[in-house]
Amino acid sequence: MSAFRKAGRGIVDSAKAINFTFDGKTYQGFEGDTVASALLASGNHLMGRSFKYHRPRGVLGAGSEEPNALIAIDRGTGRVTPNVRATTQEIYEGLNAESQNRSPNLKFDMGAFNNAFSIFFPAGFYNKTFLWPKSFWDKVYEPFIRNMAGLGPAPTADDPDVYASSYGHCETLIIGGGPAGLAAALAAAKSGEPVILVDENPQLGGSLLTTPTIEINGKPARDWIAKSLKILSKAENVTLMTRTTATGYYHDNFVALVERITHHVPNAKIGKVREELHRIRAKRVILAQGAIERPLVFNGNDRPGVMLASAAQAYLGQYGVAVGNEAVVFTSHDTAYQAAFDLADANIRIAAIIDVRDEVQNDLTEGATQRGIKIIRSAVISKTFGTLRIKACEIYEPETGIKTKIRCDALLMSGGWTPSLHLWSHSKGGIKWDADIAAYLPDVANENAVCVGACNGDFGIAAALSAGHKAGQKTGGGRKVYKTNEADFGTGVVNNGLPNYIDTAKQKAFVDFQNDVTEKDIKLAVLEGFKSIEHVKRYTTNGMATDQGKTSNLNALEIASKAVGKPIEKVGLTTFRPPYTPTTFGALTGYRDAELFDPTRKTSIDPWAEANGAVFEPVAHWRRAWYFPKAGEDMHAAVSRECKATRDSLGIFDASTLGKIEVVGPDAAKFMNLMYTNPWSALPVGGCRYGLMCREDGYIYDDGVVGRMAEDRFHVTTTTGGAPRVYRHMEDYLQTEFPHLDVWLTSTTEQWATIAINGPNARKLIEPFVEGIDLSPEAFPHMKLREGKICGVPTRLFRVSFTGELGFEINVPSHYGRALWETLMEAGKQYEICPYGTETMHVLRAEKGFIIVGQDTDGTVTAHDAGMSWAVSKKKKDFVGKRSLARTDLTANGRKHLVGLLTEDPNIVLEEGAQIVTDPNQPIPMDMLGHVTSSYWSEPLGRSIAMAMVRDGFNRMDETLHVPMPNMAHKVKVVKPVFYDPKGEKLNVV
Amino acid sequence: MFEIHCPYCNEKRAEIEFSYAGEAHIVRPNAKQQPVMSDEDWSRYMFIRDNIRGEHAERWWHNAGCNMFFNAIRNTVTDKFVMTYKMGSPRRTAKQIDVARETNTADKAKT
Amino acid sequence: MLFDQAVDIPEIFKSERVSVTLIEGKARYNLRVKAADVTAFKKSTGLKLPSKIGSSSLSKVVSCLKLGPDEWLVIANSTQQKKLDKVFEKASKDFICSITDISHRNIGFEVSGELAAKLINVGCPLDLSLTAFPVGKVTRTIFESAQIMLLRTGEDSFHVECWRSFAPYLRDYFKRVMTTRY
Repeated sequence: MSAFRKAGRGIVDSAKAINFTFDGKTYQGFEGDTVASALLASGNHLMGRSFKYHRPRGVLGAGSEEPNALIAIDRGTGRVTPNVRATTQEIYEGLNAESQNRSPNLKFDMGAFNNAFSIFFPAGFYNKTFLWPKSFWDKVYEPFIRNMAGLGPAPTADDPDVYASSYGHCETLIIGGGPAGLAAALAAAKSGEPVILVDENPQLGGSLLTTPTIEINGKPARDWIAKSLKILSKAENVTLMTRTTATGYYHDNFVALVERITHHVPNAKIGKVREELHRIRAKRVILAQGAIERPLVFNGNDRPGVMLASAAQAYLGQYGVAVGNEAVVFTSHDTAYQAAFDLADANIRIAAIIDVRDEVQNDLTEGATQRGIKIIRSAVISKTFGTLRIKACEIYEPETGIKTKIRCDALLMSGGWTPSLHLWSHSKGGIKWDADIAAYLPDVANENAVCVGACNGDFGIAAALSAGHKAGQKTGGGRKVYKTNEADFGTGVVNNGLPNYIDTAKQKAFVDFQNDVTEKDIKLAVLEGFKSIEHVKRYTTNGMATDQGKTSNLNALEIASKAVGKPIEKVGLTTFRPPYTPTTFGALTGYRDAELFDPTRKTSIDPWAEANGAVFEPVAHWRRAWYFPKAGEDMHAAVSRECKATRDSLGIFDASTLGKIEVVGPDAAKFMNLMYTNPWSALPVGGCRYGLMCREDGYIYDDGVVGRMAEDRFHVTTTTGGAPRVYRHMEDYLQTEFPHLDVWLTSTTEQWATIAINGPNARKLIEPFVEGIDLSPEAFPHMKLREGKICGVPTRLFRVSFTGELGFEINVPSHYGRALWETLMEAGKQYEICPYGTETMHVLRAEKGFIIVGQDTDGTVTAHDAGMSWAVSKKKKDFVGKRSLARTDLTANGRKHLVGLLTEDPNIVLEEGAQIVTDPNQPIPMDMLGHVTSSYWSEPLGRSIAMAMVRDGFNRMDETLHVPMPNMAHKVKVVKPVFYDPKGEKLNVV
Repeated sequence: MFEIHCPYCNEKRAEIEFSYAGEAHIVRPNAKQQPVMSDEDWSRYMFIRDNIRGEHAERWWHNAGCNMFFNAIRNTVTDKFVMTYKMGSPRRTAKQIDVARETNTADKAKT
Repeated sequence: MLFDQAVDIPEIFKSERVSVTLIEGKARYNLRVKAADVTAFKKSTGLKLPSKIGSSSLSKVVSCLKLGPDEWLVIANSTQQKKLDKVFEKASKDFICSITDISHRNIGFEVSGELAAKLINVGCPLDLSLTAFPVGKVTRTIFESAQIMLLRTGEDSFHVECWRSFAPYLRDYFKRVMTTRY
C-alpha cells in the first residue's frame, strides 16, 4: 500500500496492481486509477509546469476540467499524444507518461526564469513587446515565440493507429452519466425508443462515485448505480457509452461523440480502431453535465497541493487516496465543509477551515466541532509557502489585521459551483444570470434539449435524480421521489477580489491556471480600455487554453465586471465553442486518411495507362494520364514525340472523363436552344455541333461537342472538370425556369468509355473493327456521328477532332473500354500508334487555337472576346446569357480578345500567366494589356506558340508587344490563334 | 449539420445530401421582356439580392436525394428552417410563415 | 470481349457477420415519364412502377425503384436487356418520356449480414432502423464523399449502387472498416 492510499476507501481494485512510468520513474497504482490518482497515492503532487511562467503545478481538479496536470503519453513512434490530462488518463500496465513544458526536468526547469521576471510578462505581453525594431523579428522575436508557444510535443511521425467514424440516430441522447443522467436514462428506457447515455469517464455514476457515503432510498449509492446499470444494460433500446465525450453540439440535435476505445488498454495493437467519432442525430437531448467547482482567486493559489475541495473529496472517495496528511480548507461555499468532513473521517488532519464569510450554518459548525476542526471566519489566505509542494499558508484576518502561518501539505479551496453550460451554449441555448448561485443557468432552448441536474442549478443528489427522472420521461408520467441521506447542499458567496494586505502588483493570484492569467492581468486589461468581455478574453487569453476556461471563466467574469463597474449580467459570458475537451486529429479524420481522404476517379482504361508507365495528373476528382514517357525521356521529350506521332500517323487518347449528359424528350431541342448559345433546331439526326454554354451573365461557362442521336435525344459532352456544374446548371434552369418543357437529363459520363483516335491513319485503324457504319469520307463526314458496333459491342462513333487531324471519338459502354483500347493498340502497331496524355492533347489543340475553358477563359470572357461570335446564334430570341451579351460594357470597344502570340526568338516558350505590355521601358506601374493563357513548344512547327488575352487584341494583328520577365522582356508578335494547318486540310485526309 | 425537410421526399434528411441554391422567387425575365429591359433593370435581376437578416426565402437542391430543387424559409439569424415547399408554388405570405413557425414550436413541445 | 468488372472484391468481404459482394449481370435504365402518361406507360410496358418516392417493386427479374417525383431506376437481369430494349423503344414513341441505358454507369454491391446497416452507417447519415428504413425502401444518398443509391432488400441486406469510378473508393472504405473494426 502506498503512503497515501487509505484502506477501505475508493473503488479501485487493490488486488490488481499496475505498473507505469512517469518521467522515467516507475510507479504502482491499482486498476481504476488515473495517472493523477496513482501519482498522488505515491505522494507525488508535482505533475506539470505552467504555460507562461513555467511555475510548478499539481492537480487542480480530478476530472476533465483539469488545467494543470497535462502529460504526454508515449506509445512509440508516431504514437505520442500530448496534452492528455493526468486526471482522466487511466493507468495500464506499461503506460509511459511524460510531463511537459519543462527543460531539462520537472523539478528543475530553465523556463522558470519567466516566473522570476513575471513583472515583464503582463497581459497583452505579446501585443506590446514585439513591435520593434523590425529587424528583430527573424532572429529574436520569432524564434523566442516559437520556442515558447504550444504545450506538449508535436508528433514527429505519421500516426499508425486507425480512427473510426460513423453516423447514428436515437430518440433520446443523454450526455452525462451522473445521478441526473442515470435517472433520465431509467425513465427514458421505458419508452422503448432508442436511448444513448454517454459519459466521458470509464464508469457511470458521476458524483455518486466520489461520495460513497450517500444513500439513495436507504441503500448505498453504489448499489443504486449497480442496479440501474443492470436495468439499463438489459434494455435493448439503451446504449451505454463510457469513455465517450460529447465534444460538440451542432444544428438540429447533431452531436459529435468521441469514444476512446483503447486509451486504457495495454499494448493496443496497431491496425485496430483507437477512437471512434459517432455523429449522432437525436430527436431530443438531455444534458446532465453537472457542475464544476470554482477555485478561489488568492495569492499563491497555484502551488502544488492547492486544489479544489471536490477534487480532494473525489481522490479519497473514488480512488482511496489522501491528498495530504494535513490539509487546510479555504472556502466561500458550504460544500467544502462536506469535503473537509469526508477527509477528516478518513483520518486526514484538517488543520483549519478558513471561511471568507462572517456567518456559517450551525450544522456545519457542529460537524466541524464534532471532528475537532477549527473554523476561522471572515478570513482569507494571503500567502502560500513551498516550492514544489505547498508547505504552509498564511491566514489573514482583515478586520484585525492578524496574520497566522499554519503548516499544511494540502490546501483545498471552494469558490462555489459553475453549472456546465458548454454543450448548451454550442446549441445556442439562451442563458440567464442567477444571482443566488452567482452563475449562469440555462434559459430558453434553441434545440429540442433540456438541462437537468447541477448544470441546470438542481444542486444535490436528490434534486438531480428527480429532475433527471422528469426529463427522461417522454410524456409526463408522474414524479418519482428519490430520498437521500445527503447534507443540505448549502450556499455560498462570491468574492471577486479577496482582501489582502500585499500590494496587488506583487500577488500571484491565478484565474486561468493553464494560460497563466492572473487577477492583475484582467484588471490591467480593463484599465487599458478593454471593456467587452470578449476583448478581455482575447487580450489576456483567459479561457482560451485547451481547458476552455472550465475553471476560470466565471472568476474572470466577476473580476472584469467589478473592474468595469458593471453588473455581471451586463458584462455577458464569452462563447463556448466545440470541442468540449481537446480532441485528436485522428478522431476528426476518422477513416478518411490516405486513399480514403477523397475518391480518386479512374477510367476503365486507367489500369492500362498505369501498367504502361503513364505519368498522371489530377483533373477535378479524376486522375488522367498526363504523358507516357519512354525510358530516358523527360516530359518535354515525351510530349514532343507524342505530338509528332499523332500528326504524322496515329495517336490514341483516353477521353472517358469528358462529362456526358443525355438530354431526352420531345422538347430536347428547345431546351438545348435555351442552354447553349448555338442553334440546335436545324441540327439533323446524326449531326454534331460544337456547343458553347454561357452563364446568365454572358460569360463562357463550358463547351463541348453535342451530337443529335434522335429528334428527341442529344448526347451532350462537357469538359472534364465542368461536368457536375453543367449538370447542375441545366437541372436548375429546367426545374425552376423552364419546367414547362418535356425534357429530362441523365448523367451518362460513366456509362461510356471514350477513346479518341487522331491522325492520318485514324480511319484505317478502326475500319476492320467497325460494323454497320460506312466510314467513307462521303458517307461519314467531319462533325457527324453514327451508331453501330465496334469489336462486337455497341458504339456511338463521333467523327470529331480536337487536334486538327482526322479524328474519331469512339464511345463504348464503359466496361468494354479497356479491352477495346488494347485491341486498338495491338492493331495500331502497323501505324506506330502512340498513346498520348492530356499535355499532348493541350498542345495539339493550342496549335489549332481551340480554347480550354478555364485556361484560356477565366469567367470574364464572352464568346466574342474569345473570337467565337460564330457560335452565338443571332436569330434565337432567348438563351441563357443573351441579354447580358447586349450589356453596354460587353459590347464596348477595348475589351480583351483571345489572340495568338509568336515570340521573336522561336526558342522562347513564354510563361503562362505572364503579363503583356506595349513598352517594357515605361515606368512602373506599367499599363498591362493582358496575359498569356496558353504557351507550348510546338514540335511540328519547330517553334514556340502562345495564346493570350490582350486588350483590343483583334485590332492589333501583327503588332509587336512585349512580355517582361525577370531577366529580360520578350518581343512577341500578335497573330491569329491558329498556328497549324490554318486551312484545315488535315481533317479530311482520305 | 442541418436536418432539412425535403418537400418532395416528405422526409427530413441530412444537410450533406443538399446544396444551397441562392435566393428564391427571382423570376427570370422572358424573351419578350429581356430586350426592353434597361441595363440597370437587368443588373438588378442578375445581381441584386435582398440579403435578409431574418426569415429568408431561399432555394435548396436535394441533389443526393430526389434531385429536386425546392424553396425554403430559413431564419438567417437563428439558422432555423421554418418551412420548405415545392418549386413553382408561390412565395409564402407572412401569415403562412407565422403559422408554420407556430406549428414547429407546437411540434417541438409535444416531444 | 473481355468484361472489366471495375472492382475486384477481396476475400475479406466474406465474414459471418457482414459480407460485401459485387452484383454482376444487371441492365439498368434511368426512366423518366411525364405524370399524365404514367398509367398508360405502366400498362403498355407491364412494369410495376411504384408511385411513392423511395418505394420499390422488387423481383428477381426486373426491379423498379422510384428515386424522384418522375424518376425510376429499372434494374433487370441482363438476360432481359434485349426484351426491355424493345419494350422501351416502343414506349419511347408512344409516350412522353426519357429512357436512358445506364447499365455500365453504375456498380452494384450487395451488403448483407447482421452488421450490414452498421457498415453502411459508417459513411451514410440515414437512419437505417427498420422503422425508418424498411425493407423495399430506396433512395439516393451519401456515403462520405461518394453519392450512392441505397435499397434495403431484406432486414439484413442492402443493395448499394454508385457510379463506376466511385466503386473502388466504396470498396476500400468497406475494407478498411471490416479489417479494423469487425
